Amino acid sequence: MSRLDIRTIEKSFGDVRVLKGVDLTVESGEFFTLLGPSGCGKTTLLRIIAGFQRQDAGEIVVDGDRIDARPAHKRDIGMVFQDYAVFPHLTVAENIAFGLRARRMGDADVRARVDEGLRMVRLEGLGQRLPSELSGGQQQRVGLARAMAIRPKLLLMDEPLSNLDAKLRVDLREDIRDIQKRLGITTIYVTHDQEEALAISDRICVMDRGVVEQVGTPFEVYRAPRRRFAAAFVGTMNFVAADSDGGRVRIGPLTLPVAAPARDGFQLAIRPENVVVGAPTDGDARGAIRLEGAVRKITFLGREAHYTLSTPVGEIVAQVADPTRELLDVEGRTIAIALPYDKVVLFTAEGDATPFGAAT
Amino acid sequence: MKGAGGALSRAFGGGTARRGFDPWILVLVGAWAIVALLLIWPLWSVLMASFRDNDTGALSLTNYIDVFTLRSYRRAIGNTLLAGLGGMAGALVLGVTLALVTTRFRIRGRVLIQILAVVALVSPPFIGAYAWIVLFGANGVVRQGLASVGIDIPTIYGATGVILVFAFKFFPHVFLITSGALGAVNRSVEEAAEGLGLSPLRRLFKVTFPLILPSITAAALLTFVLSIADFGTPRLIGRDFNVLATEAFMLFGTEMGGNPGMASALSMVLIGLSMALVLLQRRVTRRDVYAGNLMRKPFVREATGWRGVALHVVAYAIVLVGALPAITAVIFSFRRTSGPVFQPGVSLQSYERVISTVSTPVWNTLVYSSASVFAIVVAGTLIGYLVSRRPQPATAALDGMLMVPYVVPGIVMGIAIITRFNGPPLELTGTGLVIVMAVFIRRLPYSARSAAAALKQLSPSLEEAAISLGYSPARAFLRVTVPLIGPGILAGALMSLVTAMNELSSSLVLYVGSTVTMPVRIYLAVLDGEYGLASALSSILLVLTVAAVAGAFLLSGRKQSSLL
Ligand SMILES: Nc1ncnc2c1ncn2[C@@H]1O[C@H](COP(=O)(O)OP(=O)(O)OP(=O)(O)O)[C@@H](O)[C@H]1O
Ligand SMILES: [Mg+2]
Repeated sequence: MSRLDIRTIEKSFGDVRVLKGVDLTVESGEFFTLLGPSGCGKTTLLRIIAGFQRQDAGEIVVDGDRIDARPAHKRDIGMVFQDYAVFPHLTVAENIAFGLRARRMGDADVRARVDEGLRMVRLEGLGQRLPSELSGGQQQRVGLARAMAIRPKLLLMDEPLSNLDAKLRVDLREDIRDIQKRLGITTIYVTHDQEEALAISDRICVMDRGVVEQVGTPFEVYRAPRRRFAAAFVGTMNFVAADSDGGRVRIGPLTLPVAAPARDGFQLAIRPENVVVGAPTDGDARGAIRLEGAVRKITFLGREAHYTLSTPVGEIVAQVADPTRELLDVEGRTIAIALPYDKVVLFTAEGDATPFGAAT
Repeated sequence: MKGAGGALSRAFGGGTARRGFDPWILVLVGAWAIVALLLIWPLWSVLMASFRDNDTGALSLTNYIDVFTLRSYRRAIGNTLLAGLGGMAGALVLGVTLALVTTRFRIRGRVLIQILAVVALVSPPFIGAYAWIVLFGANGVVRQGLASVGIDIPTIYGATGVILVFAFKFFPHVFLITSGALGAVNRSVEEAAEGLGLSPLRRLFKVTFPLILPSITAAALLTFVLSIADFGTPRLIGRDFNVLATEAFMLFGTEMGGNPGMASALSMVLIGLSMALVLLQRRVTRRDVYAGNLMRKPFVREATGWRGVALHVVAYAIVLVGALPAITAVIFSFRRTSGPVFQPGVSLQSYERVISTVSTPVWNTLVYSSASVFAIVVAGTLIGYLVSRRPQPATAALDGMLMVPYVVPGIVMGIAIITRFNGPPLELTGTGLVIVMAVFIRRLPYSARSAAAALKQLSPSLEEAAISLGYSPARAFLRVTVPLIGPGILAGALMSLVTAMNELSSSLVLYVGSTVTMPVRIYLAVLDGEYGLASALSSILLVLTVAAVAGAFLLSGRKQSSLL
């Protein structure tokens, strides 16, 4: 159980600034995910924490101790690798015991810990196998058990599931989550799969080009994005351009007061599942932006249907759960839609979410 | 670490982050020290010596002027080129023919053919030359046999003989390199060419050869360099066919009055020739050859009827002639001798002589070659690791420097080492150490290359995993990397042992009475006409060699082309 503080980490490769002053705090026992597009610096940050690379500036503090001057093998940080990195010349049991041997643990204790590890990752009975006799998913389970066996202060995982097929990925991610909770090891997990991040994390850190865009629970990141990048990267999002109009922003037929100084370049964002399709023409007109949209395409997916609509403010995609027979017949027609205020997020030109008042 | 050390450890950013320093820096420094001491310094001394007038000791270009104006040296240059190009051409024809026949047709006993080719390849260097003399020399068995039935054939001596010997000695390199490439030519490409109406022969030249051009040119370069560096063959059967290697050696031998400056200049010319060919080969193979991922193995035809017989005869003739010297040596080692003359009958006389009077070379060979191989393997593995895992300018430059021994003939390396270590500050002449040093620096690049290649197959995250589990980088290397690349390293070590045991040219420059090695002793025996003794020593060497090769093959799962 350890708390990690990352303070203004800077890293450049040549002229390229890969990490631009990253500040993060990971609470004890937390499952913390770094999420971001390829090349944003996730691996670099992870390797700096592990000690395989050295930051140009900044501090890494675990439980109040600075560890960034220590060599990697003295940091007590477990790692799980994308390519498993299971030692091919050692059996599964020897792999799991490898880190314990370095700690000079007695034979009996090692055996107990290895058995426990095998049980934990559901590889009982495979202890004497060589890695070449295991599937990819099983090898990664060995990698996980091996890293967990030393009960590290921190566990780092760099896209551990990306070499596995979809079904295994879901199974193993559930197991990772369960084991981590059971042992309470503070974990930093790297992925660029947003669904995986939402499913597994206590908190998610969305990164872009070496900058932390937003840190929050999966719910916060998905439902209340603080940054335009986070809103766009996690899940699907409709963006609608909003012009300024005398201290207010104008969306289609109506204007809204905003807290930030109204300038051009504002964008309004709403998730497809929050767009109300076929809204009644009257009723709670105050709580929503009401628009007309020509239905260009309907894609029926069983559980839900996707509508592509042409509206006066641009193209909007709506998602309707459990659609009725009538609603699937509207292709080519113009229908009414509503964007409820409480589901809409407004972003400034700089990409920050900004509050807006209800229409008056 | 401050200053330079700090800069170095920052340059090693790929390693672990820490205040102290990465132990691999020590390896890098050590590797550069070795290269400086055993390669740069000696070769620099030779270069300097080549500019020194033998009579006055002043700096001058006399030696080079002589090389390019005096008739005998110009002849040596011409002969060297002739031998190099001739040996190369002959080896290419034999090797490519054998490769084509065995990869495109179903030839009976392919394994036997490969074994014979490997025997030819690893036979001690001028067992070849000497066995040819025994068979086709002035009193050669075959010649005399033919003469008794009235057929006169010319002796093997002279340019033709040298080129023939080179061709049959070096073709296995070509065979092994090109059969790998031929086996990887996509069948669809060849079929497409046939569909376009090219006759099989034109298809061969227009499609197949261009596709395997990189392998052919690599093999050509190798055989050229081997041919011009070979010393024993022209010396023993060249007679008045002088080449640069023999001239340099003669000029260097002090018994003949000696002219080290001139010998150095000839050495430089020899290196220049090799380098010129390396550059040429680079130019030729600049074009990329694409390997599609939809691979269809080439079609193997049945060899039946007259054509089948002819193909089998060609294939077996090539390998049998290639292995003939080794076979001859073994047979002759059991013949009864009286002095230098062979008598009818079988005996163990020659072996008794080896045991009673000339056992020193056997022990020397074993001791020197194991010592150098041990050093080669340790240094080669560490350097291979640096090159593949710590990419940065200092290691890249090191890798580049290690190209040099590929183009430095053994005789030149010997001359360089003796020039440098003949007197203060380091006087080592006459010790076994210089012989070991020469073999070490000549073969280090092969070992470093193969270790680097083995490491490239290994994910760097394996070592990182060990480090994250609490092992220091050095222990992680020993506990994870070494066991994993171990079998490959050991196989490479056995192949180094083969070359170390058979090293003649540099040892010949460096030996003294007490440090004679087997190849040197065989050479001396042949010069003295003691063919029985030479045969017995050659056979012993051959057995040791074959044992090492067999061990290497067992360890590497019979992927012989990756070894040689
Ligand atoms: N050793 C290095 N030398 C130079 N540039 C590097 C090095 N390592 C990483 N980079 C660069 O730093 C940037 C961040 O790389 P990093 O591997 O951290 O990205 P990532 O977020 O892990 O991406 P991915 O999702 O593809 O794994 C990339 O632009 C990469 O090209
Ligand atoms: Mg990455």
